[in-house]
Amino acid sequence: MRALVIDDSRAMRRIVTGILEGLGYETQQAGHGREGLDVLEGGWVPELVCVDWNMPVMDGLQFVSAVRSNPAWRAMTIMMVTSESEHTQIVRALAAGAHEYVIKPFTADAIRDKLALLGLLPQEAVL
Amino acid sequence: MKILIADDSRVMRQIVIRTLRQAGFDDHEIVEAEDGADALAKVGSEKPDLVLSDWNMPNMTGIECLQALRSSGSSVPFGFVTSEGSPEMREKAANAGALFLIAKPFNEDTFQEALSGVIA
Amino acid sequence: MTTIDTGERRRGAESRPVITELIDGATIESIAQDAWIALVGEEEVLVPLPGEPVTDPVSSWVDVVGPWTGSVVLTTGRRTAEELTRALLQEHSPEVLEDEDVADAFGEIANVVGGNVKAALPGSSGLSLPDVGEAPAPRNPDDVCRVDLLWRGETVSISVQGALPALPAH
Repeated sequence: MRALVIDDSRAMRRIVTGILEGLGYETQQAGHGREGLDVLEGGWVPELVCVDWNMPVMDGLQFVSAVRSNPAWRAMTIMMVTSESEHTQIVRALAAGAHEYVIKPFTADAIRDKLALLGLLPQEAVL
Repeated sequence: MKILIADDSRVMRQIVIRTLRQAGFDDHEIVEAEDGADALAKVGSEKPDLVLSDWNMPNMTGIECLQALRSSGSSVPFGFVTSEGSPEMREKAANAGALFLIAKPFNEDTFQEALSGVIA
Repeated sequence: MTTIDTGERRRGAESRPVITELIDGATIESIAQDAWIALVGEEEVLVPLPGEPVTDPVSSWVDVVGPWTGSVVLTTGRRTAEELTRALLQEHSPEVLEDEDVADAFGEIANVVGGNVKAALPGSSGLSLPDVGEAPAPRNPDDVCRVDLLWRGETVSISVQGALPALPAH
């Protein structure tokens, strides 16, 4: 399975990418929503996108809305990665079309559990 | 005695003022603040004898206001009037130095009970 | 700060609660009745009967984020929302109500109902500030607990609805 990790923090991208690769994902990274759309428009359409909320150029909410307006990307699952201070805005992100969210700081287990619920654990991680 | 009422809802401020009156606390001077930051400023400028504050407000929440007051050395009596009366919130309020937490919805009896020891 | 113990998270790994497992219509109705008596007036009764469909609807809601994530949405007709506002403002009610007054009063009712719904849910959750306008659409029909009530003969509905889509069947 493939996952796109969008976050303006390089450290956060590394953490999320590391967790997903540990679960058997093939990953790509983008520094903000617009870069994320560039990856998708380039034809690399993953099963999962993990997207930060607060980013320059294009934030997570705008990214979710843009993705949901393209039917070709309907099968993609979007997980918002958000911080405690933004957490009461989560429902807006979900209403725009995100499927799940995790609140920073999170553990690898927290991500794994959410992906298990969504049926998005690569085979080797299920076993 | 001067009472500062902080709530981002004007309607709720009026309901609090009305309930104070119904509870028999009717000859006090009332000052209103529309969020935590406003309340913090008005504690400084108005020198109230009691603050009744909402919890969830834009700009600065009630608990942030209370924490800012206490860390700046103010010991003004402070109570919450909030829609969130869970044991967890009550504990947070008490730990930050609040005298009481009145959960919405409330009535004049709730106010009497919480305020009788605080307001002369 | 929210710390969730491993046991709770592990249970969370197997399933995600829907609202009907956490709260029932009778509890929501009783929360609403308490809010009405305290805010709208002591004689103000909510009757648990479905009424006429609402024309020109307006909603107010707060979001709850925690072990269960969603919104507590009140919906009624605009005229009923104005009547509620006048009841809340009592002698402070202006001759001409501004939209802002209605948003404030109707939002505050959602805040009080939502805050008490939140308190009835397990675990620790966050609560948003109230919003007023067109209600968010429910994401998952199984994750909705809705009560229809009558206030002064007008329909007021309260929908406690999840923000997460249904899980894929697997």
